[in-house]
Amino acid sequence: MNGVNEGKDRLSRRSFMGQTAAVAAFTVVPRYVLGGARNVAPSEKLNIAGIGIGGRGEGDLDECRSENIVALCDVDERHAARVFKKYPDARKWVDFRKMLDEQKDIDAVIIATPDHLHAVAAMAAMKRGKHVYCEKPLTHCIWEARQLTLAAREAKVATQLGNQGQASDDNRLVSEIIWDGAIGPVREVHAWCNRPISTRGVGRPPETPEVPKTLNWDLWLGPAKYRPYHPVYLPFRWRSWWDFGTGVLGDIGCHQLDPVFRALKLGYPLSVEACSSNMDEGPGVKEETAPKSSIVRFEFPQREDMPPLALTWYDGGLMPQRPPELEEGRRFGEADDNLFIGDKGKMLGHRLIPEARMKEYGRPPQRIERSPGHHKEWIDACKGGKPARANFEWAGPLTEVVLLGNVALKMEKQLYEKGLKLRYDGPNMQVTNLPEANKYIRDEYREGWSL
Amino acid sequence: MEQKKMTRRGFMGTAAGVAAFTVVPRHVVAGSGAAAPSEKINIAGVGIGGQGGADLRNLESQNIVALCDVDWRHAAGCFRRYPNAKQYKDFRVMLDKEDKNLDGVVVATPDHMHAIVSMAAIRRGKHVYCEKPLTHTVREAKILAEAAREAKVATQMGNQGQASEGTRLLCETIWDGAIGQVRDVHIWTDRPLNGIDKWYWPQGVDRPKGEDPIPETLDWDLLIGPAPMRPYVQRVYHPFVWRGWWDFGTGALGDIGCHSIDPVFRALKLGYPTSVEATCTLVNNETYPVASRVTYEFPARGDLAPVTLHWYDGGMKPPRPPELEDGRKWDTNGALYVGDKGKMYNGRLLPESRQREYGKPPQKLERSPGHYMEWVIACKGGKPAGSNFPDHAGLLAQVVLMGNIALRPALKEKLLSTKLLWDAQGFKFTNVPEANPYLTKEYREGWARLYRLMKDD
Repeated sequence: MNGVNEGKDRLSRRSFMGQTAAVAAFTVVPRYVLGGARNVAPSEKLNIAGIGIGGRGEGDLDECRSENIVALCDVDERHAARVFKKYPDARKWVDFRKMLDEQKDIDAVIIATPDHLHAVAAMAAMKRGKHVYCEKPLTHCIWEARQLTLAAREAKVATQLGNQGQASDDNRLVSEIIWDGAIGPVREVHAWCNRPISTRGVGRPPETPEVPKTLNWDLWLGPAKYRPYHPVYLPFRWRSWWDFGTGVLGDIGCHQLDPVFRALKLGYPLSVEACSSNMDEGPGVKEETAPKSSIVRFEFPQREDMPPLALTWYDGGLMPQRPPELEEGRRFGEADDNLFIGDKGKMLGHRLIPEARMKEYGRPPQRIERSPGHHKEWIDACKGGKPARANFEWAGPLTEVVLLGNVALKMEKQLYEKGLKLRYDGPNMQVTNLPEANKYIRDEYREGWSL
Repeated sequence: MEQKKMTRRGFMGTAAGVAAFTVVPRHVVAGSGAAAPSEKINIAGVGIGGQGGADLRNLESQNIVALCDVDWRHAAGCFRRYPNAKQYKDFRVMLDKEDKNLDGVVVATPDHMHAIVSMAAIRRGKHVYCEKPLTHTVREAKILAEAAREAKVATQMGNQGQASEGTRLLCETIWDGAIGQVRDVHIWTDRPLNGIDKWYWPQGVDRPKGEDPIPETLDWDLLIGPAPMRPYVQRVYHPFVWRGWWDFGTGALGDIGCHSIDPVFRALKLGYPTSVEATCTLVNNETYPVASRVTYEFPARGDLAPVTLHWYDGGMKPPRPPELEDGRKWDTNGALYVGDKGKMYNGRLLPESRQREYGKPPQKLERSPGHYMEWVIACKGGKPAGSNFPDHAGLLAQVVLMGNIALRPALKEKLLSTKLLWDAQGFKFTNVPEANPYLTKEYREGWARLYRLMKDD
């Protein structure tokens, strides 16, 4: 797949703009507004809008406090109140579409809505030429991720996915150690995450309580199918509900698998299979919520000189077997970690095991530039600097693969009954051996919503 | 001869000691002799409302003389089927009253009662058929096996699959070298789930609040037996769904492990493992987790390579092997043996073309007359049953139940930093002393007497 790469060879708008800015020397770029982002010089401040600010959005805004926070948008007034108070000068909005239409001074948006709104908000912003920082996973379905990747490329805006771990040294060390050949060719990776997201393995609640006055339920639903309000979905609890969230894999996969994808230069997998703890928990459960625990297995083809790779994802408390190299008495990732199994050694997270081996090895040659900080990368890119490292060119394909795992989970029963694992044509976004799986590649939007 | 139609009891009454066609006299020493092949043995069932009833139906060629259950409503069907059998609620009373009349006891209570009922029967010289898993704790399985050996009674655990042609073919294929040295075995079950849109019993749940009136037909105190007393709540523990509760059951692993790990022990001649480790979904002190993986490491045995046994439950499975043809189900319950030269999935070489080409292995094992008949024959002085306690079931159950210790929530923190290392000689985990109390359990007041019966110390 060409989509997933470091994006080095592309003439990005930002580097191009950077040259232009350099030519203009001390000229402060005029703040002419064609509805899109202004050309903001590094010495200037960006005008940032937050969409979905009550939860993770607050943290993202705080990371961008060096800039002007000019607009705040949330459908839940009560949940957002604290952040509204924190940025009293920002204009307050409920509907991001209205905000983007009416508030013209916005350069960039930070999107931290529930997953099912990421794509519509990001696309609306990019269509207006705004830079976009979007929380992980980039989107709710594979098709959306593809569309955002293409749109970002076309709009030449600065983008960044909210997987801040990618900016760390540790993330770079994973690649550098593996590229240094320290564990030889890698054929197996085990990644696990025991994050306790909202209740999984449950069906839709039958009660239909009244919508709080402080909440615009219709806007919260956005493009998702209509359903009656229930506090079981929000705030924050939407992650386990398939119509809104993407389970633990979606929540954490874009974080945790980022270094795996970079180090092993992964593209699209050939196949995926999944098993879960609530395959048969009752009518309607599997359709409604992510399982209490699951194992998802991806098979990747050979990439350049790297051999085929089996990547296994575990959540809900399940983990791989303890590697014999791990010293007796050393904790084996209770929350989350990645285990790389190479022909010549093993790496846990970003350290060779056993630790004696790591000590002996020292540090790999540095090959990847260090980051000024994840949010700073994006801010720099918005101001004409180099593209952020998790820009949508990278984040889109990564998200596609992560979300493909959910397709396999949703099709677990059908795959079981047909005796298949899901085979996938990545470039064409097609499940090739089970056509009915393709309904999960692209969400159906509710009347009145489109990309 | 008329004996065939006569009950053994009737015959013994008239012909004991007579050498005609040499019917071996039964009792000699109280209760521990063997019935002659031509006679029928007298069987009592303890715990008859569920699997116990099915066990008895498979033993109807013999005399079903006594039935015992703590829930007479649940047992009603079985009572009706054997109208001549005496009815009891308390197995202790039954064993006292029927002592002279019984040859064998079928134990199909909840798991936490298995050892106590079986031991009480063995101590009286009765033959015992006990449902799987043999016991509730590792130590119980060890002691029960020792006691059975000492008492020289005929025993059989309720893992019927051991008698099958499939188990024999699996062993013979592996012994034939068809897949080379086996280094990994994967065994999985969907339990506590059950196929489409249902589960067998809940796990990963907490104890419910409140209390329901105990039905008149149920002796709740007896059902609790040696477990700590708790309030009765309808449908939460009984019938059948006790399996998910630490105090009564042994979870998915205990329920299915003795079935599906049995062939692994036979084919690979396993003994104790060197280590056990487990990971699972959220687990509490009340019920087993929703899903788990348990991994056992076994050392080399003679020419046989060390082997890792991977257990999965709650819907978890190993990956589909590439040799498995598209269109073939990767079953909800399965076994995959991975050898240096090939793989076997649910008893057949992979891919199927390989199995066809291979055909059948040379027969090395005697075929079974049937799982229940094995026990009956053993009771009558024939060869020991295939899953008798001393030679097989005791060890198998111990190893299966060790996996549950690795799942204990109280040990979770500790077991993030190590796996459990087992010392077979010393019968203990060497590196996590706090795991050793889980090899056994506390017995409720009033049951200690029976427990002391079980302990040699």
